[in-house]
Amino acid sequence: MVAERNEVEAVAGTTARRPGRPATRRNRRGSRAERLAPFVLLAPAVLIIVVLRLWPLLLGVNFSFTGDGDRNGVPVGFDNYLTLFGDPLFRTALRNVGLLVLLLPVAVAIPGLLATFIYLRVPGHRVYRGVYFFPAVLSPVIVGAIFTLLLAYDGPLNTLLGGVGLGPVDWLGDPDVAIFAVVGVHVWATFGMALVVFLAGFAALDPSLLDAAKVDGASLPQTIRHVIVPALTRTIQFVFVTTMIGMLTSMFGLLFVMTGGGPEGSTYLPEYYIWVQQGQFNQPALASAAATALFLIMLVVGLAQIAVLRRAGRED
Amino acid sequence: MKQRALWSAAVVLGLALASGCGSATAPGTSGSSGDKLVVWDWKSGDANVAAYLDKAKADFAKSHPDREVEFVAQPFDQYYTLLGAAIQANKGPDVMLFNGGGQLRDRVDALLPLDDHLAQDKQRLAGWDAFTKDGKTYAAPVTLQGHPLYYNKALYAQAGLNAEAPAKTWDDFVENCGVITEKTGAKCFGVGNKEGIGIQFFLSSIGSAVLTPQEYDDWIAGKRNWASPDVKRIFELWKQVNDSGLNNDGANSTAMFNDAFAVFQSGKAAHIIGLMSDIGHWKDFAEFLDADKVGVMGAPVVNPAATPSLPYDGGIGYAVAKWTKDPKVAADLVRSLTSSEALKAFYADAGAIASDTTIDVSEAGPAVATITAGIKTGKPALHVALSSKTIDLMGRLSQQLISGSVTVDEAVAQLADSDKAS
Repeated sequence: MVAERNEVEAVAGTTARRPGRPATRRNRRGSRAERLAPFVLLAPAVLIIVVLRLWPLLLGVNFSFTGDGDRNGVPVGFDNYLTLFGDPLFRTALRNVGLLVLLLPVAVAIPGLLATFIYLRVPGHRVYRGVYFFPAVLSPVIVGAIFTLLLAYDGPLNTLLGGVGLGPVDWLGDPDVAIFAVVGVHVWATFGMALVVFLAGFAALDPSLLDAAKVDGASLPQTIRHVIVPALTRTIQFVFVTTMIGMLTSMFGLLFVMTGGGPEGSTYLPEYYIWVQQGQFNQPALASAAATALFLIMLVVGLAQIAVLRRAGRED
Repeated sequence: MKQRALWSAAVVLGLALASGCGSATAPGTSGSSGDKLVVWDWKSGDANVAAYLDKAKADFAKSHPDREVEFVAQPFDQYYTLLGAAIQANKGPDVMLFNGGGQLRDRVDALLPLDDHLAQDKQRLAGWDAFTKDGKTYAAPVTLQGHPLYYNKALYAQAGLNAEAPAKTWDDFVENCGVITEKTGAKCFGVGNKEGIGIQFFLSSIGSAVLTPQEYDDWIAGKRNWASPDVKRIFELWKQVNDSGLNNDGANSTAMFNDAFAVFQSGKAAHIIGLMSDIGHWKDFAEFLDADKVGVMGAPVVNPAATPSLPYDGGIGYAVAKWTKDPKVAADLVRSLTSSEALKAFYADAGAIASDTTIDVSEAGPAVATITAGIKTGKPALHVALSSKTIDLMGRLSQQLISGSVTVDEAVAQLADSDKAS
């Protein structure tokens, strides 16, 4: 991570120097083309962002202020947003977003701990390194289908629980449990990627620090607390950001396969809500309003994370 | 430098232009042209309807030997999107397949009323209601879809019950279920309510045994009295059935398609409210249970004032676009597609209850015989009359009823509001 940053700075340094070249070397004929060159070179990227991203975004926001069905195309002001916040399903979806934010530390701690064990060379660490990454290459649909079978009421997990005398749990049918089951499966399916990032972070960790801790007689928890965590601060922050984005934007497949938003609508997330309103109820304008709301949430979460990262960057 | 600038400009222009293309809709490619009749559907690609189409084409060739017919199979998940684009452009297929109910009624502006052309078929075919709006018929039914109550005769025999005389009243039915569970370990109902579909089937199948004929007809006509004790009784029963352990465990996490059907097929439940055509029906069940062991019974009477009937609607049917050049010829093609010979092939190969009531189904086992016998007295299914929003809400409320987080009164009140709003 640190090495990467130095490289970035080095590159930035060279580009920064370029405009500093003596202006006298610029001849008159070349100057016009050279003045235009940056705009031409930037144009593809800017146009792609403006035409394919910002413009549709504005259209979508604009569309969210029009009506559905009989009121198709008619401006309706904030009606869609009022409907949205009056809809218990959408409120559940927002509540679940809050829940995901609360569960985030767990989702980051799991790959972090496992990566620590692999780094500390627990027996069989080579096998674990490969095995842990396996689920990351499976599509959410396949993962969802597998876990729907495993978590079925008469499925293997409940049989196992029954074997040790614990009552069956309706993992995907109990509204208080289902969202945790789905998030758990999502963490299982995606932690491999975070694990790899953590291992990369460990690769840059100075082993002499660990040796020193060992010589000083530090226990494992102490080593983690005082050596590993401080050395990996930036890695941990990076994993936090990517995990959060993953949770908010790529759980649709799992939800669709495992619960369909149920039971009792308890596993709705904003993106699932958008799909239902648009695809099932043919209410594209209401779906646009929900999409705008999701965009704002992502914006706030994203900006907050950038702020945290920036502050952490200054500490170094 | 200039060269490079030009290239960048060209690439940018290309990208900008390409961004507007690539939509899934290209209605012009398979629209009608000249003397050729174009038919859109989502079935003609399947091997099991080949015989049906051959028969229909042969029938059509008899009256119009020089007319060419082209069948274009569209993917079902995009079918109505593609059709919508064709309708918007006012050109597309001459004849098209529709699901009965809302899908057709939403698009009647683009369709030709067929009453004059199809008058002769009105008696022979059933399921017209699903293809009718404001008294005009827009399509001819091919299959029927409905919700018979299937039961496993082998489990009845194993429990020492008379499989040929299933219970007529609800109390006897519950009593029989108790005997079956005690003797065989099988549950009474296989039900899947993960998607909220279990309640739809339950409402439609048991509804005719609870509502009076007048209440039933009013419901279908749109005059739904949610406060009536009989309507409440249906939802009370739904809860009661689950609370008293008649359902398979974990109904709220069991998918109707196809986990609940698997519960019935594997003999873990004695009854299931299934479908008539396509899937989860007599043909699927017979593959596992043997055709002779699959029975169909009338809904056991809950309210003595009720007359149980088979709930069914038109499943799929062919309609004619209003832009077709020669409506008479297109209507003739629809008649060929619903001719007895063709529908017989559809029934035999695809495993669907065809709309033609004159087809001999005696070889397919007792279940089909009972279903077809019920078609004459059958009525449209209760849940089909509800809007998709109300159905979605009903799905969630039904899960809450099972888990106990809502009372029947609250659920019915919410449904009444939703029904009024839509």
